[in-house]
Amino acid sequence: MEQVHSGVEFTALDWVWTILFVLLMIVCGVIFYRLGKRSESDFFLAGRGLPWWLPATSVYATHTATDTPMWIGGAIYHWGVRGIWFPFFAAWTAVSAFVSTRIFRRSLAMSQAEWQSLRYSGLGAELLRGWLAGWQTFMNMFVIAWVSAAMGKICVYLFDWPNWVGVILFTSVCAVYVLVAGYWGVIMADFQQGIISFIVITLVSVWGVVAAGGPSGIVEKLETLGQSWRMNPFHFDGFWGLDTNCFYTLDFLTLLIMATVGGLGMGNFIDWYPEAQRIQSARSVRDASYAIWAGGFLSLLRNSVWAVAILGFFVLYPNIQSEAEYEMGWFRLGFEHLPAGMVGVFFAGIIAIHLSTVSTHLNLGALYATRDLYHHYVNPEASQAKLVRVGRWNTVFLLAGAFLLGLTMQSITSWLIFALWLQAAGIWIPSILQVVWWRFNSWAYLSSWIANLLMSWLVVWVLPELGLFPELPNWVNFWLLAFLVSLVYVPVTFLTKSDDLDHLVRYYVMSRPLGFWGPIRQEAERRGLIAAQEGGTN
Amino acid sequence: MNLFRKNWTPSEADEWTVHDLVASILGVLAFFLGTIGVIGAFLFQLWGFVCLVVAGALTILMYRVIDPKLRAMSEAFEEKQQEYLDDLERTVRWESRDGH
Repeated sequence: MEQVHSGVEFTALDWVWTILFVLLMIVCGVIFYRLGKRSESDFFLAGRGLPWWLPATSVYATHTATDTPMWIGGAIYHWGVRGIWFPFFAAWTAVSAFVSTRIFRRSLAMSQAEWQSLRYSGLGAELLRGWLAGWQTFMNMFVIAWVSAAMGKICVYLFDWPNWVGVILFTSVCAVYVLVAGYWGVIMADFQQGIISFIVITLVSVWGVVAAGGPSGIVEKLETLGQSWRMNPFHFDGFWGLDTNCFYTLDFLTLLIMATVGGLGMGNFIDWYPEAQRIQSARSVRDASYAIWAGGFLSLLRNSVWAVAILGFFVLYPNIQSEAEYEMGWFRLGFEHLPAGMVGVFFAGIIAIHLSTVSTHLNLGALYATRDLYHHYVNPEASQAKLVRVGRWNTVFLLAGAFLLGLTMQSITSWLIFALWLQAAGIWIPSILQVVWWRFNSWAYLSSWIANLLMSWLVVWVLPELGLFPELPNWVNFWLLAFLVSLVYVPVTFLTKSDDLDHLVRYYVMSRPLGFWGPIRQEAERRGLIAAQEGGTN
Repeated sequence: MNLFRKNWTPSEADEWTVHDLVASILGVLAFFLGTIGVIGAFLFQLWGFVCLVVAGALTILMYRVIDPKLRAMSEAFEEKQQEYLDDLERTVRWESRDGH
């Protein structure tokens, strides 16, 4: 891996800030020890009793990771501010808040895997639950690995430590309060980490903008460099095309459709899974809706602050070709331009950013391993104390696996663009169909998952690498994968039976899903389980 | 149809209505304008500040449209939540999937 070293000197004051912040973060989590150990529901959902602003801060804090400024910074440096549309998929939360969040919260499922067994019935539902639980246990391990890899990269840049030290050290610190207090520790630490990180991100970005000559200085310098197009979020290279080095209007429209229509579904994006945990931890449907909406909004505003800072970085260092170097742009602004004594605050902010993401994924991965694998399949009679104990062991297991993975990862940006949306392209439509169409069954959803995993690797990486298939722009890859995978799940839907009627009616009455549920609704009305419809649009 | 309707019965709030659609659209617009508004405002461009003000206004509008409905739905659902949770534990148990 190409590494850059800063030569930044930490003063005694910087270390004092860093140590104080780390202690504060650990204490904030650990003091909720007694609440976390009460039950499985407390260890993984904080007893389902949180006001909206706590899960909202957690949504924001979780999705502010050490790798986030790298890949958003990388996209903005490469594409100009039109690169802001890559992370705009987070806008799915604006629609989800009033659609899928509401449906999921009403299901009361502890996890997305559990929701599968409420929505579907029979063997297919069990296979799907097992598959999603295993997949999510691995994915959370993978996420911890890649953010830990990013932390390793930062520590190499800052201190020239061996990579493994940065990968392991701060993630291990975080594991202390996750092990002790579970989700209570996660959510309370996220609250103060979210505030710290928002302040630090704004402070460092403003500082960077000032260092680049202020707003007017950036505008003038970009014009002088002949790069003023970089300030235009709607600067596209034509309506459509196949050049992977261009950003087309169709790229933008694809991202916009993904972001908006995607809010109807569950599981379209990997972000859904941590959000699902936050939705169920909210004390009411209303709190869940506002938590998801506000958390998503904060995340998008943060991206924009970073985007301007990276414009400033571009003005200061306009000719960097190496992705590994320019994706460190925001960090360089902080470490190279903040005054002595403030560098420690910045580093403490980075630790807050790192811990808030790692803590969520440690607890979330342990939730799937404990609730959906151990409790569901291995020991359904387990006591609450036993489940909390198993939850802690699963946290340790995830930590160890993440370290092994994290030490082998290379580039952050390309991994993330692949993982965040291409990998989900084929299941994007099925994830919506499972919410809005009663006839879509477990076998169809399971087949879409398997087909997507195979096809996304083949179409995006393997075949182009072998020269058997052209390298295509992102928007073509997305729609191509969506189409190819539909060739599998559409026939499967119609060739297999619908789910059990009693099961569907029970799910409908409790969750009241949106869309094409007419026959199930009629059956629920016939059984007297819900009132006959008068003015609704269901 | 009153977009700013304040009184909902629980069963009315359970139905999908135009209020959900309007809230979703207003929410997306607020996100969109907020995203580009912050960029413009940080660069001291007038359009940035205008976008931020409109995003704020849309957020307030969205709240006024959807909050009474969410409140009515939440209160009714939360009253039955414990019963639902007990039922959930029975429904998702591995051994009892076929009713055995």
